[in-house]
Amino acid sequence: MGEQSGAQNAWDMLSDEQSQKHITTGSGDLNDILGGGIHCKEVTEIGGVPGVGKTQLGIQLAINVQIPVEYGGLGGKAVYIDTEGSFMVERVYQIAEGCIRDILEHFPHSHEKSSSGQKQLQPEHFLADIYYFRICSYTEQIAVINYLEKFLGEHKDVRIVVIDNVTFHFRQDFEDLALRTRVLSGLSLKLMKIAKTYNLAVVLLNQVTTKFTEGSFQLTLALGDSWSHSCTNRLILYWNGNERYAHLDKSPSLPVASAPYAVTGKGIRDAVSSHHKRARVT
Amino acid sequence: MAAAGGGGGGGGRATTSGCGLKRRYAPHDQEEETMNQDQSSKEDWCGRLWNGMDLLKDVTENKHVLPTGLEGIDTLLGGGLRQGQLTEVTGPSSSGKTQVCLHSASHAAVKHMGVVMYLDTSNSFSPSRIATIIDGTNDLSDQRGFDLPHKERLKTMMRSIVCKSVFDIFGMFEVLHQLEVSLLNDKVKSGGRKICLLIVDSISSLLAPIIGGKYPQGRSMMISVAMILKKLAYKHNLSVLVTNHMVSAGNGAVKPALGESWKAVPHVRLVISREHGSNICTATVLKHTLLASGRTAKFVVPS
Repeated sequence: MGEQSGAQNAWDMLSDEQSQKHITTGSGDLNDILGGGIHCKEVTEIGGVPGVGKTQLGIQLAINVQIPVEYGGLGGKAVYIDTEGSFMVERVYQIAEGCIRDILEHFPHSHEKSSSGQKQLQPEHFLADIYYFRICSYTEQIAVINYLEKFLGEHKDVRIVVIDNVTFHFRQDFEDLALRTRVLSGLSLKLMKIAKTYNLAVVLLNQVTTKFTEGSFQLTLALGDSWSHSCTNRLILYWNGNERYAHLDKSPSLPVASAPYAVTGKGIRDAVSSHHKRARVT
Repeated sequence: MAAAGGGGGGGGRATTSGCGLKRRYAPHDQEEETMNQDQSSKEDWCGRLWNGMDLLKDVTENKHVLPTGLEGIDTLLGGGLRQGQLTEVTGPSSSGKTQVCLHSASHAAVKHMGVVMYLDTSNSFSPSRIATIIDGTNDLSDQRGFDLPHKERLKTMMRSIVCKSVFDIFGMFEVLHQLEVSLLNDKVKSGGRKICLLIVDSISSLLAPIIGGKYPQGRSMMISVAMILKKLAYKHNLSVLVTNHMVSAGNGAVKPALGESWKAVPHVRLVISREHGSNICTATVLKHTLLASGRTAKFVVPS
């Protein structure tokens, strides 16, 4: 069989895959069902009702991707594309502080070593390494995704792109539904290509809507059927009573599974019964 | 001898938009050439005439099936993916389409049937999943009976699966063109094995951005890629497996994507679904060249 540029055999890809680092979510249980964390070179969709913690998880990942290599992280930067204005900088600062505190707890003696070039663990540095885009319409969204390729070519240390949330501007005021499907399919292919080419994780946050099927209301992701194939992995965040749960709904290599998690003052953490947890507000 | 099979008859006279234009002759020149040639050369252009008995002999001797490794599906398919044919697997999100593709690739690798080419549009090709599936088959002994170490056997098998990411329809045309050229030139890789299975997961995500609009170019590209896939299957005796997704059909129902024109393209169409929270899936035959449609079977995707 002839040479195909860019083709790799499965054996070579296996060693690449096994040496890939994953982006921790902050919760050990959540990392476990994800196979270690959010995968690079893949597009992961995270869906849930408002208030369940999608933006919190998005921000947590934008911080955790920056955990330096010497502490087990990727040491990368983040791109955060905000469509609704949910990115609260004060909260990001809090989460960065929480992340640093946990690192120092885990690696108590490391801050004594001072090798040249080792970054000081400051929340300011974490904030500085998030590239933030605020978009207000679907045309801006299309434009920024088209621009990303050039941007990422110039900023090769970006290891995560979070879009919060990807379908918001396409849900209202888009009269031609067939055109909407075409545009969104095109965007999802571009995002797949970006994830693969620049070896980063693309995380798409998505709203959940109610759909009336088989005589009852069911919660489905916004833009359901036509969009549902446009991701490599899908994680659904939901409420089980007063507990937050994450359900891995789609993955090429991992089994379907659920795990509890909590939103605390420090960010996303394991669900241990503690009064630090943020309660459900409905 | 010009072995232009039935699919190649007419030498690409019909130029379809957008693909491999360099290789095609302009319609005008082709016809003039054909007119001016003598009778025997004209027959070369038409390809060989087959009679019924030739065809039957060819089918029984040369057209084998490639089992997917998933029992329920193989039963429904009458053994597996037939060589020379295009099989489509369609279904809602996370119903198991990619798993069927990964299992087919792994099974072909384990049985040393040849090289598998896997074209991936959603970064879903998972080498670790392939390794798990191959390990699970407990059939890692070399065909010649030598007892190679486990890792060596896994390595040989996995090296016969080649994966390429494709993110737009033009990239797909390019890849298929390169494949066609290399097969025609009969370039043989070290190991001397030919491609036996071509998987496209999924063809519908490449076509979704271009079909359905006011202009017909998208649809003609879809038909174009369909013809190229079927031609490759026919001329080079490959099994071709593609996946398709579902779209809404009104009133909450779903139907396979790609519309009416696509329905006639695959030789075999299966629709699969998975019960929520389990790994038991159901497959139904929508279309088959030999067997009755409507038959259903359950299959399990092992973890």
